[in-house]
Amino acid sequence: MHSTSGRYVGLLYLAPALAFVSAFTVYPFLQMIWMSLHNWSLISAKKYIGLGNFVKAWNDPQFWTSLGFTFRYTLYITPILMILGFLIALLTATNTPLRKFTRGVVFAPVVIGLGASSLLWYWLFSYDFGLINRSLIDLGIVSKPVLWFGADADVSLWAVIASIVWKVVGFGTILFVAAIQAIPGEINEATMVDGASYWQRVRRITLPLTAKTILLVTLVSAIGSLLAFDQFYIMTAGQPHNQTTTAVLLIYLNSFPYLKLGYGSALSLILAAIILTCTIFQIVLTRRSHG
Amino acid sequence: MRLPRLKRSLVALAALVAAGVVPAMAEDLQMWERSGGNAGMVDALVAAWNEKNPDRKINLTYIPHTEMVPKIAQAIASGEVPDLMGMDLIYGPQFEAAGQLVDITDKVKDWPELKTAVQGHMAVSTYEGKLYGVPLYADVSALFYNKDLFRKAGLDPEKPPTNLAEIREYADKITALGGDVKGYFLAGSCAGCNIFTVAPLMWAAGATVEPEAANGEPLNGDGIKEVLQWARDMVKAGNVHEDARAETGETFHLRFGSGKIGMMGTGNFNITLAKEQNPEMDFGIALLPGLKTGEVSSFAGGDIVTIPMGSKRVDDAVDFMKFLLSDETQVEVYAKMLNMTTRGDMTENKYFAAEPKVQQVAKAIAVAETPYTLKFFELINSPQGPWLQMLQRAYYEGTDLDTIISEAKAQMKSIAAE
Repeated sequence: MHSTSGRYVGLLYLAPALAFVSAFTVYPFLQMIWMSLHNWSLISAKKYIGLGNFVKAWNDPQFWTSLGFTFRYTLYITPILMILGFLIALLTATNTPLRKFTRGVVFAPVVIGLGASSLLWYWLFSYDFGLINRSLIDLGIVSKPVLWFGADADVSLWAVIASIVWKVVGFGTILFVAAIQAIPGEINEATMVDGASYWQRVRRITLPLTAKTILLVTLVSAIGSLLAFDQFYIMTAGQPHNQTTTAVLLIYLNSFPYLKLGYGSALSLILAAIILTCTIFQIVLTRRSHG
Repeated sequence: MRLPRLKRSLVALAALVAAGVVPAMAEDLQMWERSGGNAGMVDALVAAWNEKNPDRKINLTYIPHTEMVPKIAQAIASGEVPDLMGMDLIYGPQFEAAGQLVDITDKVKDWPELKTAVQGHMAVSTYEGKLYGVPLYADVSALFYNKDLFRKAGLDPEKPPTNLAEIREYADKITALGGDVKGYFLAGSCAGCNIFTVAPLMWAAGATVEPEAANGEPLNGDGIKEVLQWARDMVKAGNVHEDARAETGETFHLRFGSGKIGMMGTGNFNITLAKEQNPEMDFGIALLPGLKTGEVSSFAGGDIVTIPMGSKRVDDAVDFMKFLLSDETQVEVYAKMLNMTTRGDMTENKYFAAEPKVQQVAKAIAVAETPYTLKFFELINSPQGPWLQMLQRAYYEGTDLDTIISEAKAQMKSIAAE
């Protein structure tokens, strides 16, 4: 009797969270699966087409281009964010006023909206008026302004990567600093007594003891990059020749401006499945390496 | 029992509203309009209406330009529609075909004003013989040219080019002035800018761009290839600024006013802008020409005003449409602000007479066209669409033009057939 009522009480405590998740996650997800099986425009009647949208995605060259580009972006930016974030954390982990200030400066862009920062960088990279071209010319690095967007997909990609590294590297840095500061001082002191160099301590002590944080930051960075949208929507608009159209930008285009909600839903499901697979793979790999 | 002050105020207000003493906010007509269009013009039109109709004012809400279509679609799907909707005219057919707009044919059939309303706007407001909207404002494209640069290059500033070969010849001479000056401008990453200023060159040369029906033929006529070849040669000859390749439309309206461009296809809105931007610059306006002298065309853009299905104020909305087309509004609101009148018979007025440049650009209304397609965004306006992809390949690549056109054609057909 007591255990049954206890179960109900437990359920009651869970009810708000369950209701929230059901209403805002489970129901929309099921609705998205249902939509992906239809030719669905908001302004006209929907039509059931089975797996037609998935077949269409398979045969859509733009889908593969977008997926390939998104992976490339993720593969380039994730290591940069990890290594740079970790190095800055190593440099600023000790609590001195200057280091605290440096951490604050590095973290500041994280609180700016991604749309606002993308717009800022769009103008910094401007051909005529941008500070970056002006600086490169004044420093004698280039003789004429660089066309950052619209001409060469690789150049555009690196320009976006620079803007995003500035924007989000502080997030990883703060987490790494917290992890480094959580390492008991005695361990470092003991290794110093044993004669370990700074880099030996980083390799043998700091890295293994912050591994969980490294995994967390890697996952967050990789998932964030696979879902990249704002920066490309604002800075490149997918140009040139749709070569910088990310997977989410393609989903947005199909779902809203083109009003192909069914196809957009199918693409979203495919991307969700890919991200889930990558995440599981990454977690398993990390566990094995630590096992 | 004493009610707190706020509660007492609310109770009193509710009682007054119930008694009809205070008109409820719901009395206002709700109107949506896209941002990024001619907001100044729409604000003035709504202000003029509100002044004359204090009992049925319009409450105007701007929706971001890029969000307009999905926002309207969501509103329709959820039944939360405004009473009036200003929309980019090229989206009209899509919503009319979907049965989402109120048919106003019977309500307006006796209006004489409709006979002279801008043809492009009227065409896209009509679907299967039924009328669903009227012009809200009109933008037309034309060839703007910098007379100062013409003089410096030894060209006659009173003789603008009358065909594409002349544009090329003049552009070469202006570019030869050196410095940061170039003869012409082509927006490399802006689909909308190109349909506004490059498609008229093709139309003037007798070609068509969009497929009208699902099984229609897009990119028809030799004019397509000839204009693309001309544009490719212009870029190769260095007659276009290098950064034009990255022009997404963000700074398109500011280009001509920079004073560094000899000639450029742009719109009537650039008259005021260029004057504000560069008051010293002397410039002229001509019609966008085709391959031969005498061939001219223009794009009639702008917005139409429609009534979404579900609007509870259809009669008031129709009255607003009548107000827009009235002689007084045409002259005292549109013309006074030096905007195009939306009726061809109203271009002769005191305001235009005092501004020859507006008179000049107003001539474009008579030759202007507007694409009619149910999938304008996907086919033409999208940066990812086949129209811009074709132009970019033509401008900046060396691929055979026949191949580029046939691939764009195939893409357009596939989109239209979906």
